[in-house]
Amino acid sequence: MSYQWLTLWGYAPDFMKAAWLTLQVTMLSFALAIALGLATAVAGVSPLRPLRFVARAYVEVIRNTPVLLQIFIVFFGFPSAGISLNAYWAGVIALGLNVGAYLSEVFRAGMASVPRGQIEAAGILGLSPAQIFVSVVLPQAARAVYPAIVNYLIQLLLGTSLLSAIALPELTGTATVINARTLLYIQTFAVTMVVYLVLSNLLSWLADQLGARIFHPPVAARRRTGFGKLTMRRVNRA
Amino acid sequence: MSVQLLTSSLAILLQGLVTTVLLSVAAIAGGTLVGLVAAVLRSFGPWGTSRVAKVYIELFRGTPVLITLMFIYFGVSYFGYAIDVFAAGAIGLSIYQGAYIAEIFRSGIEAVPKGQWEVSQILGLSRPQTFAFVVLPQTGKIVLPPLVGQYLSLIKDTSIVSMIGMSELMHGGQAIVDRIGRPVEIYGLVALIYFVVCFPVSQWVRHHDRRRLS
Repeated sequence: MSYQWLTLWGYAPDFMKAAWLTLQVTMLSFALAIALGLATAVAGVSPLRPLRFVARAYVEVIRNTPVLLQIFIVFFGFPSAGISLNAYWAGVIALGLNVGAYLSEVFRAGMASVPRGQIEAAGILGLSPAQIFVSVVLPQAARAVYPAIVNYLIQLLLGTSLLSAIALPELTGTATVINARTLLYIQTFAVTMVVYLVLSNLLSWLADQLGARIFHPPVAARRRTGFGKLTMRRVNRA
Repeated sequence: MSVQLLTSSLAILLQGLVTTVLLSVAAIAGGTLVGLVAAVLRSFGPWGTSRVAKVYIELFRGTPVLITLMFIYFGVSYFGYAIDVFAAGAIGLSIYQGAYIAEIFRSGIEAVPKGQWEVSQILGLSRPQTFAFVVLPQTGKIVLPPLVGQYLSLIKDTSIVSMIGMSELMHGGQAIVDRIGRPVEIYGLVALIYFVVCFPVSQWVRHHDRRRLS
């Protein structure tokens, strides 16, 4: 038994490299997702009807189709439109587009959680709409949505495993290669699972630390599916 | 794209859709069962089973579903048995989604006020009776919207089973593209089919789920 684990130990540098690639892709697509999510959340409440429609359509299309399909469309379909991307950037863009749609909903709910009275009061005090957004809505919304955002960051990290389908040598892709080479099915995937566990717990721990530092009073970002403090009033009825 | 090509592709894709639906139904049944058991053990489990359930939930919520599927599909063959890819997909998705579903059930169980347990005890109900006749019926109402939301992500996750070689909707699309190319049209069509299936479900969830964040 032990020599099999020793064989796998020889692949430690490959696992490290793959884990680093996984983190890179996660971070880049997360940055894209935040930007897209914010932009479409704001567009979704804009007074311009076409803009609202585009934002709404984007969110609905992405949320109702599988992420693997979206990856394939970006990687295999975009070249038809003259946009050729390598697996790395196709992965970043596809996952960014995907998570952006979910974050858009989260941001919209977060913005709606700020009472309207505050926005009106800020307007009466002479703040411009941009100032109201930046200094009144955003800080409170950020606080409300922080745990949900961290949840999607973890989902994104796990989602990068699908990029092995377009031959990106991230963790899962590397694991399948090692698996094919050593035929140590159980050991290879057990090690891969542990690496994912370490990464996801590391990210959620870091997010916890960050949440405790930047918010006053601190926000705990521990993942929860619960019905705890986050019950918010309905926002999606137009 | 010619009409003939479109209709012949659609026939293949709809065949794939049937498998996708079957797999979804199997995994929804399995996942709900696994999730309910894990949630009950997590909340009331005796002799350390509570801790086992916790480890199970944390393990699968922190690793990708693809790894679970590969683990089962290849792992079984490691021990010298063969497993049908449909069975591997259904079991893998059930175990994986069960971890998420367990958390949904658990929050539903915890949402029922503690006082009801005490009252039921005073009224002479045993703990299992209290759970079955007092807590669970109320839990059902609370958890249904997020549960259906989880089913929605399960349906979309069935596409990942194509990566271990299952010929469902996604795999059908890939096969056609491998043959004739035209990724935009074919994958667009596949996306449309998924959308038609998922959109009503997601709209239902949107109108019933009061928990907008998280």
